[in-house]
This record gives sequence, structure tokens and C-alpha cells, in this order.
Amino acid sequence: MKKLIALALTACMLLSMCAFAAAEEGTVITIVAWDANTTGYLTAQKEAYEASHPGVTIEYIDVSSQDYDTKVAAMLAGKDTSDIYMVKDIPALLNWYEAGYTEDLTPYMQAANYDVAGFVGMETNYAQDGQQIALPFRSDFEILFYNKDLFDAKGVEYPTNDMSWEQYKEKALAVMDDSDPSNPIYGTHYHTWLSTAVNYTVADGVNTLVDGEYSDLAYFYQMIQDLEDAGACMSYSEISAAGLHYSGAFGNGNIAMMPMGYWYVATLITNIANGTYNVKNWGLAAMPTKEGVAAGSTFGNLTGVCMNKLSDDKDAAWDYIAWLCGEEGAKVTAGAGNRPAWVSEGVAEVMSSIEGFPTDEGSKAALLPTFVAIEIPGTALSSRISSILGEEHSAIMTREISIEEGIENMNERVQELLAE
Amino acid sequence: MTQVSADRRKFRMGRLERKNTLIAYTFLAPNFIGFAVFTLIPVVLSIVMSFTEWKGGDLTSMQWVGLNNYAEIFKTAKVGTEMANKGFFAGLSYFFNKVDLGISLKNTIFYTVVTVPLTLVCSIALAMVLNHAVKGAVAFRAVFFFPYVASMVAICVCWNFMLMKNGPVNQILMAFGSKFNKSWTADSTMAMWAIILVSVWRSMGYYMVIYLAALQGVPRELYEAATVDGANKWQQFTHVTLPQLRPTTFFASIMLIIGCFKIYDTVAIMTNGGPGRATKMLVLYIYNEAFVNFNYGLASAIAMVLLVLVLLVTIVQFSMEDKYANS
Amino acid sequence: MTAISAKPRQHAPMKPGRVIGRTILYLVLILLTVFTLIPFFWMLSASLKLDREVFSFPMRWIPETFHWENYSLIWTKVPMLTYFKNTAIIAIAVTFIQTLTSSFAAYAFAKLNFRGRNFLFLAYIGTIAVPWQAYMLPQFVLMRSMGLYDRLLAMIVLQSFSAFGVFLMRQFYQGIPTDLCEAARIDGLSEYGIWLRIMLPLSKAAIATLVIFTFIGTWNDYMGPMIYLTRDVNKTIQVGLRRFIQENSSDYHLIMAASVTSLVPVTIVFLALQRYFIEGIATSGLKG
Repeated sequence: MKKLIALALTACMLLSMCAFAAAEEGTVITIVAWDANTTGYLTAQKEAYEASHPGVTIEYIDVSSQDYDTKVAAMLAGKDTSDIYMVKDIPALLNWYEAGYTEDLTPYMQAANYDVAGFVGMETNYAQDGQQIALPFRSDFEILFYNKDLFDAKGVEYPTNDMSWEQYKEKALAVMDDSDPSNPIYGTHYHTWLSTAVNYTVADGVNTLVDGEYSDLAYFYQMIQDLEDAGACMSYSEISAAGLHYSGAFGNGNIAMMPMGYWYVATLITNIANGTYNVKNWGLAAMPTKEGVAAGSTFGNLTGVCMNKLSDDKDAAWDYIAWLCGEEGAKVTAGAGNRPAWVSEGVAEVMSSIEGFPTDEGSKAALLPTFVAIEIPGTALSSRISSILGEEHSAIMTREISIEEGIENMNERVQELLAE
Repeated sequence: MTQVSADRRKFRMGRLERKNTLIAYTFLAPNFIGFAVFTLIPVVLSIVMSFTEWKGGDLTSMQWVGLNNYAEIFKTAKVGTEMANKGFFAGLSYFFNKVDLGISLKNTIFYTVVTVPLTLVCSIALAMVLNHAVKGAVAFRAVFFFPYVASMVAICVCWNFMLMKNGPVNQILMAFGSKFNKSWTADSTMAMWAIILVSVWRSMGYYMVIYLAALQGVPRELYEAATVDGANKWQQFTHVTLPQLRPTTFFASIMLIIGCFKIYDTVAIMTNGGPGRATKMLVLYIYNEAFVNFNYGLASAIAMVLLVLVLLVTIVQFSMEDKYANS
Repeated sequence: MTAISAKPRQHAPMKPGRVIGRTILYLVLILLTVFTLIPFFWMLSASLKLDREVFSFPMRWIPETFHWENYSLIWTKVPMLTYFKNTAIIAIAVTFIQTLTSSFAAYAFAKLNFRGRNFLFLAYIGTIAVPWQAYMLPQFVLMRSMGLYDRLLAMIVLQSFSAFGVFLMRQFYQGIPTDLCEAARIDGLSEYGIWLRIMLPLSKAAIATLVIFTFIGTWNDYMGPMIYLTRDVNKTIQVGLRRFIQENSSDYHLIMAASVTSLVPVTIVFLALQRYFIEGIATSGLKG
């Protein structure tokens, strides 16, 4: 019993020790973000804004990226008053909007005569019922990363910006090397996501992932299975079982090509600079395209910010959003190795001139895709459709069902959902 | 006369009862107030929520929608048509093979039906062995309890790696002639067994300790009497030990069943319900509806199905135990 | 004949069959031990590797070079010390309140007759059956309106009054003969006196059981702190662990190092209390 009482006393003492000290001076803008302490561009944005706006402090609230939607759903439901929320995906944003959490940015934009030209139309993905519920500051598109050394070793020519998927497949098969089983060289690498595997179908601007018709995915599934069977890429089953992260996989230096979002550029540069990765010389190429689709077409997604309706300093919050998403913020974001949503010549120059970025012309040219389709359009049903596609995706990729069966299931289940 | 005394007795008991009740409430209050505010009220709210549509925000913004959520999770319209057109069993098969709720119910029940007896058998066996004067028994006990202490993230990542295509478990199995050469979590059948394996591995030590302690309470005379009657070791086990352990088995199985019905962490980390929907469980379904699709009402409705299921099983168990106690 | 067989076993010389039996028994036990501990060994080995080595094939059980710096990295890369402190505060406070109030309430359920007893008890049991994910959000909204958000206090009050504790203690108290209480009542002891003088001393084992389970449960909880604690100064170990899994990179070697480190306090608590603990479960389990 005495021990218990002693424990209790210790507990009370410790409790009183963790009293809060919240002294605030000037304006503080609170932003809810994921990986806030480790993401380069967030730090850069904060520093740049604070330097040019004396008296204003940017404060991030860090949420684990895996559980971002869950945590934010709880925070918003609980009337959190943080000024700005980062937007990870459009379905979640739509839900926040429907629940009435987001402030309409249209009046602010009109009052400031805000120039949206640099977004090249991408901001409309964040518009709903005539309201601009968020603005994008990052726009990542899918791009092909490749390891120059592995291509050189095999004497295979580097991927180009106008490849077809067939040419891509040939390269993957040509550059692979499984002669040493303890150190196999893979031609390409697919992360476990549905997007890295088959999302390319939307690059033609006609197909979407929400239309209930998925026979167009078969082409990509077939190609991946062929590559897996040939040993040109690791099998989905093993990657998912091991929880292998794509960053380390490519960084390990035995993968020749990897389709991935542009955001990986920043990670790659940092980790090569600090010696964590084995990969040394790398390049970028535009995603391959199917016949009849313009070279340089790809898909992408947006990262943005929205304003909390319960923010107590909306003008300050708007000032930050306007800065962040506009040209000035775009340059800062680009300087940290990311692709801003706002593009202009000045911004593109910043992007390709950062240290560690490949210097060849092909990689620079790959920065300017000819067409970027949105990964999955925001509709009331997109999150449920994503879940269905994801479930069937895992069944197809583990070969538990045939490609035809999987696509039949996708069609049937999504059409049933759309009919309701 | 009898009428009056009976009335008086009732009155006196009532007074005693009232005094007792008052004292009892003072005992209950410290825990019950906290329990009511932080657990009971939210649970009741979620029961209410299953009949509403709610997007978050004020609790008053819940919109009553009657049984709509239940109709949606059971897909009553679709299952009804199927039954009307192709017969009752066709409808039932549609429900368990095509509808999310049916699939996750089927998976959860299968998982529970296998895991509960398996854990019980393993833990009884371990307890029987470690109940002998085995050298190092204390160390062994600690070892088998250890999996219960570790945190789930690390454990599930480890196990996924153990069960990979060329991982140690498959290699051992192959040495014994197994033809299976795939990562367990990437196989529709084996993914479920991977989850069962990890669950049994994690909880057998916990229940072993319970059984071990229970075994200390079995009177020695019973074994001696059985020996005199010429019973062998196995007969002693089935005729003396098992019946003596019955109350413990009852307690353990109730806790296990509830735990199995509520499995979430292991599935979320190891398979996320895949491949396809092969390991989709009820709570994973609830979580996705609530925090991926933001359908809080629907999520609560699924939880109510789970609640009813658990209560049914518990009541059946309790009544069986009563019968046993009375016989 | 009977006299001979009743002789204590250790004096009898071991028959060859028995030796073989023993050997098989030990072999099985050792195999099982390996099966039980192998994931922990992998965890330990992974915690001493570089990130890209963790999942590399073929698997290496012993790291090429031992990267002990992983264990110092976890303290500098994230404020792990703060996370440890917070987790300890929550776990200790919850364990104390839980044990005290549960044993108090359990006494009423086990030894007192009062109106509504069965109904109340059913309410307690019923809540165990409802998964937290289902009522997490309304609970959060309620707590938030009480100002209990992003404070360690929120986690403490949330976990201190669980039904499990009351259920466990009730099972134990039911095993203590009611005659003891009756005798004490006749001696003029009040109900509170009985609880303090008779029940508490007799339930040391059950208390140790509850302490261990509550402590382990709170220490390893992830979802609760994830939802309720927001600022870095308030986060716990399990939430901190996830900080090594980021959107664009993951540090599984550091996750493993932090997991191994976070095992230490729980193991100490377990080892310190395990003697009582085995006894405690026995008694509470017997009278299910």
C-alpha cells in the first residue's frame, strides 16, 4: 500500500511539473501539417515568411502522416481553432467542406484581386458549389526516376521523355540483372499503391477512376505481371509483406527505374547529400505514354491549404495562404526541391537550379509535362471508390484473382455504388 | 397473519436494502462517475448515432434517419431482391460473399472460432507442462508472457517479415515438405492464418499464466483418488483437471471472444484487410467507414451489430455456466 | 505396493523412459522459446542496422556492423525523453486511479446487495463489447467541450475508469468468503472498514495483476494519445514511434531501436510484480 501511495505522490508531482507556458507575442498563425519537423519545404516556407513579415510567427502542429485524416477529422469535429489546415487529399477536403469547417476563400480572392493564372486551372479541383475551399501550393506529377549508373553498366540508353510503355518495358528487361541472386538488379520498381501501378490510364484525359469502367487498367496490370514474372521488378506480395518503403528501395541503388511522384526529388537529394543512399547518379524522364497520347502526359495530385472557419485571425491566415500559394511562396517551395502548384519561368528556373538536381537537358525538360490529369477527381463517392479499387488492386497484385476477375469486380462494385 | 408478517419482512428488507444501496453507491461513485461521463455516455451516444447522419461538429447537428444506416450496411434492398429471385440461400450467399458487412462478419467469426479454442488449448498445454517441477519454469513463464508486453507496431512488422516468401517460417515449413512459397499476408487463405498465428502467439502466454494459477487450486486428493482407481495420466487430465478448470475456461473464453471480435491493430498493420477483402474484419470496416469515408452514423450501426453479437454470445455462455453450476 | 508408489518421486531412480520424456519435454520447450523470442531477436537485430539494410535480402540475423548510434539517434532526432516522461506520467496516474476506484467499486458489486446492481454491472460489461473506434468521435467532442484536449489529464481521465478493472476486481472479491465480511460486520466494522482492513490486504495479488495490465495497456496505447494529444510537448512514446514513419521516408531501424527501448520499463514492472501476478490471476479467474 505504501508503495502505491508513493507512486501516486510521484504521479502528482510529475503532473504539476508539466504545466503549460503559452506566452504569445504578435500574430501567430497555426498550421496543422504532417511530418512538420522533417519536411524541408515547411521549414523553408516558415523561415521565408517570418523574415519578410516581422511580428508574425508560423507555428506548425505536427500530425503523423499515416493518421492525418483521422486526427484532423477529430480536431475539426472538436472545434479546433487552428488557422490553416494542410490538405492531403481531395475526398477528405470535401468532407471538411460538407461538415462546414472550411472558409470560402472566394471573397478574399476577389478583394485582393488574386491572380490564379499560375495555377493553370489546377485550383478548380479545390472548388465546390462555386466556393474556393482551398488553394494548392504543391502540384506533384508522376515522373520516372532512373539510376544512370545501372544503365551505363548494361550499356542501355537512358529513358527518354517520349517513350512508349512498350519501350519502357523493353528497357526494364534489358537493364535488369539476376545473375547474382544475393544482389539482383531490378529493371523497375512499383510501390504498392494503386496509383503507381495503373493510374497512368487517366493521362489520356478521357479515362477517370470514378467512371465505373475499368477495363482500361488491364493493360497496365498485364505489363506489371509480365515484369514480375521476368524478375524485372520485385513482386508486390513481397513489397507489401515487408512494408518496404519506395524511398529506401530506390535509394539502395539496385533499381534502375521507378515511377514516383515529383516529391521524391527532395528526399533523394537530401539523402544522397548526407550519404544515407547508395544511389549516386540519377535522372528524370517523363512518364511513358500509350499510343495516341501526347508524350509528356501524366497524372498528378495537389497539396494545398484551407482556412478553418473557426480561425480567430482570418485576415492573417489569408495573407499567409495568398503568399504561400502565389509566386513568392512558389519560389521558396521550389527552392526546397518541390514542385509548386504555381508555375512560371522564374519558378521553373529555381526548380532546376537547386543543388543536387540532375544537370542533363532531358531531366530539366521532364519538369514540364504537357498534360497533367488529376489522380482521382473529388466527388462525394471518390473515397469509397478508392477503397473498392484498393481492395481489388491488392487481390489482383497478389495474384489471388485474375486480372479479368479483378476488373470485373471493380466494375460491378463501383457501378453498384454509383447506382445508389 | 402470514400476509402481515410477509409485508413487514418486505418493508424491513426494503429499509435494509435502501441503506445498503446508499453505502453501495458511495463505493461505486468514484469509479462510476468517471465511467459514466467518459465511457457510458459516449457509448450511448454512439447507439443513438447509428440512427442518424452526422458529419462531425456539434452533437446537436445529428440528423435522424431511422433505420437507413442499417438498411445500407445489410444492403437489404439488394439482398432482398436476390432472395426473392433466387431463393433464400442464394440471398444469404450473396450477403456473405459480396456485401462488406457479410464478408467482415464471416471473417471475424472464422477468426474468432479458430483463435479462441487454439489459444485455450495452447495455454492449457503450456500451463500443464510448466506446472511440473521443470527446471527454469519461472524463466519459461516469463518468456511466454513476453509477447503480451511488447507494442503492436514493432511486433506486426517483425511477423510480416518472418512470414515472407523466403522468410524463416516458410523455409522451416519447406524443410518439412511444404509446397507453399508465397508471403503469407499476400495469400487469401494464409493471410488469415498469419493473423491467427500472431494472435495466438501474443495471447497464449497471458492465458497460460491464468491456467497455471488455476492449476495450483486443484486439490491433490482428487489426483490421488484417480490414481487409486487406476486412471492413467490422460484420464486424470480429462476427468480431474479439465472439469476443475471449467470456471477458468469460462472466464478466459469470454474475455477471448470479446477480444477476438474486436481485433483491429494486427489486421490494420499486417494486411489492412487484404488481399482483396480476405481479412477484412468488423472493426477495420468500422474504422474505414468512420475515418476514410466519414460516415459516422454508418460506422456506429456496424458497431451495434458487433455489440449485439457479443452480448448474445455472452448471454449464452452465462446461461450455460448457470446450468453447469446448478447441476 | 501402494506405500512404494506413494514415495516422493525424486528419491526413485530415473527410468530410461522418463529421461527420454524429459529430454523431449525440454526440446519442445526450447523450440517454443525460440518461436516466442525470434521476432524479438529480429527486432533487436533490425535496431542495430541501417535503414536500407532492415528489409534487404537475403536476411541477415546479425548486422554487418553494429550501429549502436541508432540508440542515441532516437533521443536526438525526436524529443524521446519528453515522450517517455509523458507516457510515464499517464501510465502511473492511470494505474493508480484505476486500481483504487476499481477495487472500491468492485467491492460493491461483489459483496453488497443494492437496487440496480445487475443492471449497472451489465452496463459496465456492455461497454467492453463496443469497439472504441465507434464512439471515439462523440467522446472526443464531449471531452473537448469540457476543455480536456491536448492535455495529459485528458488521457488520464479517459483511461482511469475502464470497465475491465471493475470486472477483474469483482471476480477476485467474489472468491473471498462472504463469511469473513459477515464476521467483521458483527464485530462492528463498517463497510468501508471491511474494504480497508479485510479486502485490500487480501487482494494484494489482484491489485498487482491490475497494476500490470493497466500499466502495459496504457504504456502501449496508440490511438488514444494520437487523437487527444497534439503538441509535441504532450505526445507519448507510441505516437512518437510513428514519427519515424513519414510520408516520403521511413526509418524502421529507429522504430525498432525505440521499441526495444520502450520495452525496458514495462519489462521491469512485469518482473517486479510477476510473483503476485500469477497468484492474482488465479484467484480472479477461478470464480468466473
